[in-house]
Amino acid sequence: MQRALREIVGTTLVFAGVLGAISGLLAFALPQIQARIMKQQFIPPPLKAFRDAMLGVDSSGAGVSEIAFAIAWSHPIVLTLLSAHAIMVCTRVLAGEVERGTVDVLLALPVSRWRLLCCETLAWVMSGVVVLGGVYAGSYVGAQFIKPEFRPEWSKLLMVWCNLGLVYLVIGCFALLLAHITDRRGRAVLGVIVVTIFSLLINFLHTLDASLEFTKRLAFMSFLEYYKPFGMLISGEWPWKDLSILALAASVLWVSTGIVLARRDVTTT
Amino acid sequence: MQTVIDIQQLTRSYGSRRGVADVNLRVDRGALFGFLGPNGAGKTTTIRVLLGFLQPTMGKATALGFDCWRESATLKREVGSIPGDLRLWPWLTGQTALKLFGRIRGRDLRPVGKQLADELELDLTVRVRAMSRGMRQKLGLILALAHEPKLLILDEPTTALDPLMQDRLREILRRRAQGGDTVFFSSHTLGEVQALCERVAIVKRGRIVADTTVSQLAASAGHDVEVRWRNGVKASSGLEGLVNWVRRDESMWVGRLEEGRLDAMLAFVSEHRADIADLQIARPDLEELFMRFYEDKESDA
Repeated sequence: MQRALREIVGTTLVFAGVLGAISGLLAFALPQIQARIMKQQFIPPPLKAFRDAMLGVDSSGAGVSEIAFAIAWSHPIVLTLLSAHAIMVCTRVLAGEVERGTVDVLLALPVSRWRLLCCETLAWVMSGVVVLGGVYAGSYVGAQFIKPEFRPEWSKLLMVWCNLGLVYLVIGCFALLLAHITDRRGRAVLGVIVVTIFSLLINFLHTLDASLEFTKRLAFMSFLEYYKPFGMLISGEWPWKDLSILALAASVLWVSTGIVLARRDVTTT
Repeated sequence: MQTVIDIQQLTRSYGSRRGVADVNLRVDRGALFGFLGPNGAGKTTTIRVLLGFLQPTMGKATALGFDCWRESATLKREVGSIPGDLRLWPWLTGQTALKLFGRIRGRDLRPVGKQLADELELDLTVRVRAMSRGMRQKLGLILALAHEPKLLILDEPTTALDPLMQDRLREILRRRAQGGDTVFFSSHTLGEVQALCERVAIVKRGRIVADTTVSQLAASAGHDVEVRWRNGVKASSGLEGLVNWVRRDESMWVGRLEEGRLDAMLAFVSEHRADIADLQIARPDLEELFMRFYEDKESDA
């Protein structure tokens, strides 16, 4: 695990810093923009539809803080950077090690393959907490520069943080699985990117126009279907069903990765 | 004698491509065992099976009493290995590597590692990214040896080492073998194996074609014979069945004397001294021997 941490610490700190800065900026700017929009008597329907599509729900009647922070926490830049971090870290082993040729030295160590996966996962989860912490810290710092009434309830935002963490976990576990099936890191990265984009797109289209039949049918496959920050910020209730589905998906993907790793041959040639 | 490596009927295929087929090998404790063959013959595949990277398609491989696939992690506590194409993480230094590997192996590797680094003349403070290929190879060897394993599996370990360092490495390996450790040494150079190993197995196209001592291997190759005739060939008839000739012209014949025919050859020479201007009978050069042995087996096949 020490080796894994040594390899990802730099990337993680950069991602945490960038995500913190972006979250801070969004937490500072979005409530003020939202307040200005809400001052208008009429919000153009396309703008509202687009906003709701980003939030994943109908935002009519919600306050500035809920809408602004829900957008900030489901903003494509934030989701993309989080996904990128999970992909970068989780495709290092095994595909990355095979490509670099270091897998021969790694597997020559007296460590079982399950233990190797556990160590890699633990290092990744720790780095994920740092990166996600950057998002939360950025929001917190950014919110200190806005009016107090625009600030969110921090306990509710912590729920969103947990939900986002599980989304991050699913993406990472999927990347882990692909990186253990293939020996080419590029293929694993491409696979996760395709699925992530598909997931984002399906979720967006589904919320933009609920009458679209194919998006309705495929919506359950999108991990964002189980991430609704707006609902949590409004109700303050834990979305147990969504959290359970995400946790189950992550567990199934992780165990599958372990089985693949334990059974597969490893060769650099 | 305790068997350290026991490979029985091992077959490993890569889809339709065969890696090794029907390999049987036994290596005893304290042996310096050479595993010889050209590139692509199946040496690395066998080593990967021994290290638990590859699952046998058929057959069984055990080392130190452990199944190489199922009990790989336990086995590797007592195994030191170096891959044929060594790659290390670029941020490592020798010191951090010894610390890190020591933590994983549950013992302090630094004292032995430092001693080995002194012997192999490696500066442990240099990062891998700044190391030459030879330096990386030395670090790989130090990491393979520092935990004093009972079994060393070395895949072409002298790659990139200069002759002096190759000698030092052989010295270290001999010491380890004298102490009861077993060395499984893969190479494609017979001279290298001959300089270190007592026993050698030759692998060709995935199959073991010889498993013998180095001296027996040399003996099996016979002698090179070169006869210079005085005033042209006059007394050749007696030599026809003795020597396998590869070149014959008016004044000189060159060929290979099969093992066990030396006395007959000498008898012929003493009988026909007047016809022979010059004669050479010698064991072939080691590399040539290996090639010849290989060619023979190929033609047999």
